[in-house]
This record gives sequence, C-alpha cells and structure tokens, in this order.
Amino acid sequence: MDQLDDRVKKEILEYTEDTPSTLKDDIWNHIDQELFHTKREREKKMKKKSKIIPIIIAAAAGVMILFSTQTDTGSAFIKQIKDIFIPEKEIVQSIEGNEEETNVNLQEGKDSDYIIYIDEERYKLIPGDVSDIITTKEPLEERYPEVSMEIKQYMDIEPSEMVVTLEKELASKYEKVTETESVSDPVKGFKIHGISGSEWNSPVTNVYVVDNLNGGSFVITEKYFLEAAEGHGARFYAMLQEFKIVE
Amino acid sequence: MNDDILEEIKNGSRDAFKQFYDTYEGYAIRTAKAITKNDEHAKDAVQEAFIRVYRNISSYKSTLSFDAWFYRILVNECYRVLTKEKKSTPMDTTTMEYSEQLTEHPKENLSDLYSVIQNMADIYRIPILLKYIKGFSEKEIATILDLNQNTVKSRLFNGRNLLKNQLKMMEMEGS
Repeated sequence: MDQLDDRVKKEILEYTEDTPSTLKDDIWNHIDQELFHTKREREKKMKKKSKIIPIIIAAAAGVMILFSTQTDTGSAFIKQIKDIFIPEKEIVQSIEGNEEETNVNLQEGKDSDYIIYIDEERYKLIPGDVSDIITTKEPLEERYPEVSMEIKQYMDIEPSEMVVTLEKELASKYEKVTETESVSDPVKGFKIHGISGSEWNSPVTNVYVVDNLNGGSFVITEKYFLEAAEGHGARFYAMLQEFKIVE
Repeated sequence: MNDDILEEIKNGSRDAFKQFYDTYEGYAIRTAKAITKNDEHAKDAVQEAFIRVYRNISSYKSTLSFDAWFYRILVNECYRVLTKEKKSTPMDTTTMEYSEQLTEHPKENLSDLYSVIQNMADIYRIPILLKYIKGFSEKEIATILDLNQNTVKSRLFNGRNLLKNQLKMMEMEGS
C-alpha cells in the first residue's frame, strides 16, 4: 500500500468514526425488537390462537359434511378455513441478485384444496376445470416462450407413481431432463427439471410433485425460458414457498 | 464469519446473532455513513441490512464469502434509502447515481481527499469506499456491486487517479 492508499484510508476512517455511542445500541434495540420480540409476541399470539383454530377447523369440517350437497353454503364455510390465513403479506425474494420485498395475496386453489400467495402486481391465477394456471398479468410478446405455473391435482395417483409418468412425459418434450430429486424447498416433494437448448429463449420447466395427503398428488409445472430463470423462475419459486395444502 | 455462529443463527439463536452484530456493526455503520452521507440514513440502512441477513441467512451459500454477501445486502439497503430520499426531494441531476461524470462538482475547491471522494459520481465513489473502508479486493467489490471485475478495476483506477492528482495539488499548495 503506497502513501496515497494510506492517506485515503486514514481520512475515510477518521471521517466515519465519529459515531455516537448510543447509535450502536439504538440499531441493536430496533433489530432485537423486530426480530426477536415481535417473533415472541407472535408466538404467544399463535399459542393462544392454536387453541381456537382446531375448534374452528373441527366445526368447519363438521358443517362441511352437513352441507356437502349444498355447494354455496359449503363454500362459505371453506372460506372460514381460509380466514385462518392472512389475506396479504410481504415476502422477501432474491431477484437477479437483489433482495426484493414483494406483496403477495392469498388465493384459493381449485376446490379449496390448497392456498397460495400470489404476486398480483405481476401475475394472475386463472382457475380452470382441471387445473389452475398462474401466468403473467400482462400477456408476453409472441417472441417469448410460455411463462406459467400450473397447479393440478391427481386425486388417485400417489407421488411415486406420478413421478414415473412425468419422467417419461418430460423426456419426450425436453432435450435434457435431470434425474428426479427429493426436495424440501420451495415445496416438500419431488422435482424434475427439463431444458431444451442454451439460448436466451430456450424453454425450461421445473415440475414438482407434492403428496396431497389423501392418496393423490399435486403436480406443479413451472414453464419459463432460460433468460427468465432469475426473474420469473425466482418469482415462481418464492410464490411456491407459500403453497399450502388445506386439509 | 465463524461456521458455528452461522449455524446457530440459522437455528434462530439471538445470542449468536448479537455476537455477529457486535463483530460487524462497526464497519457496517462506517460504510453506510460514507455511502449515504447521513447518520440517520445510515442507521436505517444498517438496521434493515441486519434484519435481512437474519431472515435470509438460509439462502447464504458458502461459495460466496460471507463478508461479500453481507456487504452486498448492506449496499443495496443504502441504495434503497438513497432512492427513497431522492423520490421525496427534488432531483439534483448532478448527483444522479449513474452519472458517468467523475466528480459532481469538479470546480469546487476540495481541501481533503474524503471530500474529493464524496463528490465523485457513485459509480466511482462506492467502489473506492468499499476498497478503503473494509479493504475489499476488486473481485469482492465486483461481487458486492454485481459488476464485472474489469469494470471495478477501471472505476477504481479512474477514481484513484483523481485522488492522486488532488493529493499532488494539495502538496503543491502546502509547499
């Protein structure tokens, strides 16, 4: 290090060292409150709530059976279960190397069998007869390959069986398909990854298979293109972390 | 960053996180003060950076140096604070972040090197601050700022040249 470096370093350190001793404590107190006290308070509230929630669930489930032939009324009670989940929250996701705070909104999946939180600024959930599709709010130009995330439930096919079928299906559609792996993030289940090519617009897919806890599977199929891996790919990943099965 | 502490933080230990805070806060505050040029903004950026580190610690991958990861979050928080501030105050185009002009007030008589640095455009100023405050290498600065290493090299070179000239002028004036 020469004379210039020594002098620059010395000056910067001199100019930045005059920190009031209380600043360090103020910052820590804020962090402590935000991370640890709020957490404890939330846990306390959750403990109180947890005594109430099973009662609500049991009551709702009972009434659902009672009203199973009356769809509208049944749906109203399913919505009571949904009330357990907050309607909107903020998540932090890593997009193209930057941490980004995003507001996500609660969405109810087909037949109220699952919930997911969606970044409604960018995406929308299109409910379908056989599956739900999350896609960009604004349609993409034609030059871009499909960007979507489909959530489909197979009531009678267990995950292990489903994976075998999907492996074959993907192998016929994509040039390269990775070996199925067990994952715990963004969902707990199996993951198969497929890609065709290495251009910016090469189609990419991630297929997740999740146990529906009732003898069947949820199959979640993400589709985007290589250049969008850190954009749409990362956003799908973050939304999928909020996927929950309603038992 | 010690692996054991990292693991304890991942498991939610408040004591481990406090230990980490005590080790990192000093240089974090210095860096944020230098980047934001304002104590209150620095406080805001440092607080949020530590909170983000705790909440995202599970996404940290050991392929990246922990310090580079931490400072990347901190610098992004400083940018966020500065952007928020720019939105709420009338924009002075001479202080625009991406201005390529080396100094914002080239004709001003700057009597010390710190003032010279603080009047450089951000693209030169921030790499220089990271280099001298924490002693980061070009490679680490490139990681922190998400830039190509050659870009960092050239920006440091230009910034350092300006400082060299300023130092010469100051010495001539003093002699």
